[in-house]
Amino acid sequence: MEILVCVKQVPDDSQKVVLNGSGQPAIDKITPVANAFDTYALEMAARFKEANGGTITVVSVGSEDNKTSLKNCLAVGADKAYVVTDAAFDGSDALSTAYILSKTVEKIEAVDNVKFDIIFCGKESTDYTTALVGPELAQKLGAGVVTCVTELKLNADKLEAKQETEDGYNIIETSMPAVVTITKPNYDPRYPTMKSKMAARKKEIPAFTAADLGTDASMVGAANSVVKTISLSEPPKKQAGIKINEKTFEETFAKAMAVMTEAKIF
Amino acid sequence: MSLTDCKGIMVVIETAGGAAKSVGLEMLTPAKEIANAKNTDVTAVMIGEGLDDAAKQAASYGADKIITVDNNDLKAYSEKHSAVLTSLIEKYKPETVLIGATQNGKDIAPIVAGKLGLGCVTDVVAMKLDANGKIVFTCPLYGGNILADETIETVPQIATVRGGAFKKGEADGTKSPEEIIIAEDMPCGDIKTVIKEAVKEISEAVNLEDAQVIVSGGRGMGSAENFKLVEELAQVLGGVVGATRAPVEDGWISRAHQIGQSGKIVAPKLYIACGISGATQHVTGMIGSDYIVAINKDEDAPIFDIANVGIVGNVMQVIPAMIEEIKKIKA
Repeated sequence: MEILVCVKQVPDDSQKVVLNGSGQPAIDKITPVANAFDTYALEMAARFKEANGGTITVVSVGSEDNKTSLKNCLAVGADKAYVVTDAAFDGSDALSTAYILSKTVEKIEAVDNVKFDIIFCGKESTDYTTALVGPELAQKLGAGVVTCVTELKLNADKLEAKQETEDGYNIIETSMPAVVTITKPNYDPRYPTMKSKMAARKKEIPAFTAADLGTDASMVGAANSVVKTISLSEPPKKQAGIKINEKTFEETFAKAMAVMTEAKIF
Repeated sequence: MSLTDCKGIMVVIETAGGAAKSVGLEMLTPAKEIANAKNTDVTAVMIGEGLDDAAKQAASYGADKIITVDNNDLKAYSEKHSAVLTSLIEKYKPETVLIGATQNGKDIAPIVAGKLGLGCVTDVVAMKLDANGKIVFTCPLYGGNILADETIETVPQIATVRGGAFKKGEADGTKSPEEIIIAEDMPCGDIKTVIKEAVKEISEAVNLEDAQVIVSGGRGMGSAENFKLVEELAQVLGGVVGATRAPVEDGWISRAHQIGQSGKIVAPKLYIACGISGATQHVTGMIGSDYIVAINKDEDAPIFDIANVGIVGNVMQVIPAMIEEIKKIKA
């Protein structure tokens, strides 16, 4: 099985993002990490490979910096990694990113002389949470797509995906190649070991530019993206609340009840 | 499709058990406002089986036209729905397609957008028209801590709309739509996925999105037994039970109750957070609540930063006392 996992590097989602003085998200001081849903995708890919054999390639579109996240991926199950980086790609929206990824798939297939059977994506990224890129990539590739997957099995020449639904789950069979978007399964991604970290550090991560991919310049970057961001704002601040911590439980509770009754919330 | 060809707003209304989902009817409110301002109309689209009642609902909430694609093949949501919707958009050429941001809505929107090469925005919480008559969509980024105003350059354009973001209008049962188009079948083309099995694990109806009061518990509740206090408090308040990821993963409560990044996004009038520390992954899902009460023994818990009332104390002491007091108030 030839497996590709698409990984986006995002600001650590346990940190609150606010706007800076110039009205842009203040993310420069937040540690960049691999998108949480993409780490679940990689773990599922690693388990799938353990069960069925194959090779796992990870790819990330962004800056040279993304190599940090890709190195981590190489330490927890990925065999190869590529980074796609070009100033021309900056500010690409979901549709444009799906296009860049589709050209990346073609490129890696040509360079490594492979055909991908399964492309794993996180169900959404924790920064923009559009949940668009995976299914849009599937359309560009003419591949089947199953979203919100929590388990994946090989069944002869088809894939069997367990899709989480609002009231349970579906078992969906898809032909290959297929794109699957992964949500949180009931396990956590593995941790790297000293040995796997060392091995990952030694691996090269080749970079592809727009010229390498042969992307059409009129389809990438902020200027050619069809979704335009007009302005950013912060939601209205919640009125400062009160924290009640008196000497005894009785005092705390009485005061809290008084405040809540006053606010007529019950 | 050229710009001049496309007009009107298509509202895709998802149904469950023959009834329209709330978000579908909610979307008719902004759709009608925009259509009025642009002197065009609103078409409700329903894809499924047994859609007569849902079509009446859409009419009573003000859809000008209704298109139903009603057959047994479309009973459960599948890839076929995206193929049908793609064909409908190509045939009826709306300027804007609004889809509820449910799990199925977020599945169908990017598939159709990808097939037709259309711009799409996700989880819209507000809409307005700019000076040129373009719709400006407000979408949450970074877990709702930042809001982006966005426009889409393609026509048609697609947006998924978050449940609860708009209020349903007044239903008027006497209204009948100008036109009802019953399309029995639409070409589905090459279908790559097949649903082999659909399993319903959650039988209880957990309607967190429409709840006015939510009482939620986190890891700080300590055990499945203690978690029952959360349920009891919700019951006295006539509210719905919510949870963070930990109690769900530990099996104290079913996944249907989960609020946050991998669960539901809610916006009740009253949210009571019990033993919840306030990790951003959870706060993302409940920050839109009108009034937040937090109970936590750790006075530095980040949940207190967003609470209207923070009670520093042991949940096992505070919740039972609250239940008693509220019973007195309600008596």
